[in-house]
Amino acid sequence: MSKKLNVIGTPIPKIDAGIRITGKAVYGQDVKLPGMLHGAILRAEYPCAEFTIDVSAARKLPGVIAVITADDIDCNNISYKKDHPILKKGEVNCIRDEIAAVAAESKEIAERAIKLIKVKYKEKKGIYDPFDALKPNAPLVNKYLKDSKFAKNISDIFFYEHGNLEEQKKKSAVIISKRFVLPRVTHCCMATSNITADYSSVTKRLTLYSSTQVPFLYQRDMAHALKMNASDIRVIQVVIGGGFGSKLDMYPFEPIAAILSIKTGKPVQIIFDREEEFIASPTRQNMVIDLIAGADKNGKFTFRDVTIVKDNGAFTSWGATTPFVMMQTFSSLYQMPACRFESKAVYTNNISAGSFRGYGNPQAAFAIESCIDLMADKLGMDKAEIRLLNANYAGEITGQGMHYDTCGHIEALKTVIEKSDLRNTNKETLRNTNKYESTNKEKETVNTDSYIRKNPYFVDNVDRYKRGVGIASMMHVGGGAKIYRSDGCGTTLKLDDYGHLTLITGSSEIGQGSETVLAMMASEELTIPMNKIKVINTDTDVKPWDVGVHASRTSFVAGNSVLGAVKKLKEKLNQKAAVLLKCTIENLIYENEEIKNSDGSNSVRIEKVVREMHFGGQNELCTVNHFYEPTSDFQDKQFKGNVSGTYAFAAQSAEVEVDTYTGNIKVLNIHVAQDVGKVLNPLNIMGQIEGGVLTGVGYGISEELIMENGRVLNPNFHNYKMLTASDVPDIHFYPIETNDSLGPYGAKGMAEAPLIPTAAAIANAVADAIGVRIYSLPITPEKVLKAIKEKTD
Amino acid sequence: MEFDIVTPTTKSELLKAIKTNKNNFRFGAGYTDLILELKKKNVLNVTVINLAQLNDKKFNSIERNLKFIRIGALVTASSIVNDKFIEKNFPVLQQAANNLASAQIRQVATIGGNICTASPSGDIACALVALKAKCELLSSTGKTRTVSILEFFLGPRKTAMKKDEILSSVLISLNEKNINIHSGFIKVGTRRSMECSVVSLAYHIQSDKKNLITNVGIAIGSVAPTIRFAENACGFLIGKKASSLARGEKEEFAEKVLKYASPISDIRATAWYRKEALFNICKSILEN
Repeated sequence: MSKKLNVIGTPIPKIDAGIRITGKAVYGQDVKLPGMLHGAILRAEYPCAEFTIDVSAARKLPGVIAVITADDIDCNNISYKKDHPILKKGEVNCIRDEIAAVAAESKEIAERAIKLIKVKYKEKKGIYDPFDALKPNAPLVNKYLKDSKFAKNISDIFFYEHGNLEEQKKKSAVIISKRFVLPRVTHCCMATSNITADYSSVTKRLTLYSSTQVPFLYQRDMAHALKMNASDIRVIQVVIGGGFGSKLDMYPFEPIAAILSIKTGKPVQIIFDREEEFIASPTRQNMVIDLIAGADKNGKFTFRDVTIVKDNGAFTSWGATTPFVMMQTFSSLYQMPACRFESKAVYTNNISAGSFRGYGNPQAAFAIESCIDLMADKLGMDKAEIRLLNANYAGEITGQGMHYDTCGHIEALKTVIEKSDLRNTNKETLRNTNKYESTNKEKETVNTDSYIRKNPYFVDNVDRYKRGVGIASMMHVGGGAKIYRSDGCGTTLKLDDYGHLTLITGSSEIGQGSETVLAMMASEELTIPMNKIKVINTDTDVKPWDVGVHASRTSFVAGNSVLGAVKKLKEKLNQKAAVLLKCTIENLIYENEEIKNSDGSNSVRIEKVVREMHFGGQNELCTVNHFYEPTSDFQDKQFKGNVSGTYAFAAQSAEVEVDTYTGNIKVLNIHVAQDVGKVLNPLNIMGQIEGGVLTGVGYGISEELIMENGRVLNPNFHNYKMLTASDVPDIHFYPIETNDSLGPYGAKGMAEAPLIPTAAAIANAVADAIGVRIYSLPITPEKVLKAIKEKTD
Repeated sequence: MEFDIVTPTTKSELLKAIKTNKNNFRFGAGYTDLILELKKKNVLNVTVINLAQLNDKKFNSIERNLKFIRIGALVTASSIVNDKFIEKNFPVLQQAANNLASAQIRQVATIGGNICTASPSGDIACALVALKAKCELLSSTGKTRTVSILEFFLGPRKTAMKKDEILSSVLISLNEKNINIHSGFIKVGTRRSMECSVVSLAYHIQSDKKNLITNVGIAIGSVAPTIRFAENACGFLIGKKASSLARGEKEEFAEKVLKYASPISDIRATAWYRKEALFNICKSILEN
């Protein structure tokens, strides 16, 4: 791409920034339709029980329009494995289970009606540990899973292998075998789950104002659940207040709102409160990873043998397919001669896990990178050197069949090694730079005794604070992921008589900035300024098909789709322009909203060309459609194949200070070097990096949805320790541009990557600081203090 | 949640509101805890006496004379943070206020609310215990009585206040002139903002010209049903030289503080952790 770029690569604010910061954006919570009713859901009181229900008192309450239970509906089960009834009949299997729903004239009446529903429970002993669920005498948790190929209580198994494991084991000078325990964390979207369903008894069509991030799959899933024709369902995406993977699945509350609307003939809105959001929205897959990994005497990795047990919860979501991503990392992050991977998703009476930005990859990175440090220690090798020795490289075809046509892994590693001075870690230098203090503007002093630090008579104990540096890498799909039958995206372009462009894209905006980047691409190619480009992307009745927001695919797939459409639009314009300019169609130049002949001597405004097409006898509109399907392959039954258009790589280093008195970890700096192919919008990319890293820091040191016997103990921000603005470390970003030949302007998907290696890097940094390693996340102050205590005792 | 609201603007309106709504009212000032509580417990038929518009010097201001500083119950945490006199003379209070919740909440959260909530993890309350502050309680009859904060907290959410009383202000004795102070607040938790401490330690240690300790206040939070004043630990330090304590003495001091802790294990931390961290931070304030 030698062409000089004028828009791409420049910092352009998000085009929806204005409406968002002024409160004008219409989130699901803001939707108000005439005659709208308010829905509420009654959930289980016990995580495992039989029950009988009596809704008669609720039905009688004035203002209540409809009350439904499983007996009132005729629906198909939902979820990835169709193992999830929308309303549960006779028994509940997790604390989230929906057993009745109400539509009423106000939210208050709906809530009062819920309280009037009488339920008698007969509590049963549930299973809350997946290892218990695998025992032969364990009761069956989910009876809805049909045609299971697997043993009892197993929802899904992934098995993968390449290379000769036994041979590689023999070659190994060091073999590390460790168990890693990963927590249940949740997305904490700013906007809680919401849906407004509007069924017309006249047209028999259903309109859903939804926050889904996969509108076309959602439309299909909803149609299946309600036994409707998918085309009779219109999905209008509201402004989405946070997705992060949580809106990849359809959940029971959504068809429940639709059923209530169908029953009442009125629009019905359901909005979660925060506690309901914590209990009833999905979580990252919590799991136990047993990893055995080896290296030869020179530090070359020999094999990875991994066995994973995932807590599926009571039902199966798309999140059950996270092994698809994890196995790629185990098989192909760093050069890997042999790999065996096996994972089981096991039913329990816990709340079910879903999908979450990173999709299994942060878990895999934590296990792999911890093991690499352990191997380096045993071999007496430098932690940077062992990684560089094994790093992925351009041209590599991995054991799993992925083609790394471009690869910034080595450069990413070298960058973070250099920036954090990992090779000659001078901890005293690090201590004295005191970067954190100088950048922490707010006078927050939690966890530190700032007064002691400042007072010369009470200088802190030099042994108290220990600093450490840790490093970790990641590899993730960067050009979509062919897991559905199509991984494509459609675009329609409409250039109007005034030279303004309407860009209709199948892709969805969930805050990641896709609509801005797509408009930038069109602006770059057509030289139409950003303020003359409108992006339409929220209505399935209007926009062409797209598989949805996942796998960091939108810039790559929807971007290529826009570029394909622009090419077609230009072909149309060029034909007319050539006539108007009295020249051949070759080598026409687009500049400042004009089309010029090849020597620039003659020009015509784009809008004039459009008008000439429209009104000038030809009577044609300047509208084009394009559908782009990435060139990636489906994997075969052994999960081998080049599944993505391209792959993204990154390395991060974390610098931490551990307070050995309290166990608190202060993350001082995170250095992020990431192969993004090409920076399309520096402002937007920094937003993605910072947001991702902070989610990764939370995953590393603070966040966990704590459960006990199937109940969520901390369904609130008070006790769910999502980090705040004052916890943000200094985040340093070094983009690595490998200019992928398939990416738009060379770009790769980059959005999930920034959180993937963060927790792993922090874990390594903490081990470096205190000399003892912690094998479970989050690394809480308590775990740190206990580890220090055990080490010194 | 349903409630009536009355908004007194003068002291006499306030006293009338207390009398009229006998036993069935709640005070609302910053509303950072109250609304959540009413919502959670689904409280019905209660009257909220809204103090946000109350215009009374005693309630609203920070004033001082030669002997004491008086802080009105409606003074916000951020006003305390920004008060230069408090910052210089009572760092423990300034730091505690600065550790409370977040910058946004500190703008509205009041010192009276922090005290009267009587939470074992109250930040400002903990500092005031270390400072041995006195609470001025105004009754509906218009009379004021003074209760030491050391006798104010009776249990979680239980105080020595009578039903018809309201906290109008707190008094803190001024430090003697020409003394050195070593004063601060340590909050142990996971986050740097929006955190409820799992252990907190407030200390205010005064020394004379010869660096001999003359007056000590040590209070601990989140490790017992109420904030505790560690009297024996305070006594232990009197007459000693802070800067030259032996390691053993520091640990003895920490052990003495620990005697006042009877923590529980909950989802935020185990009792073991609370004790361990408390011991360490107690030691830390005497380290050089």
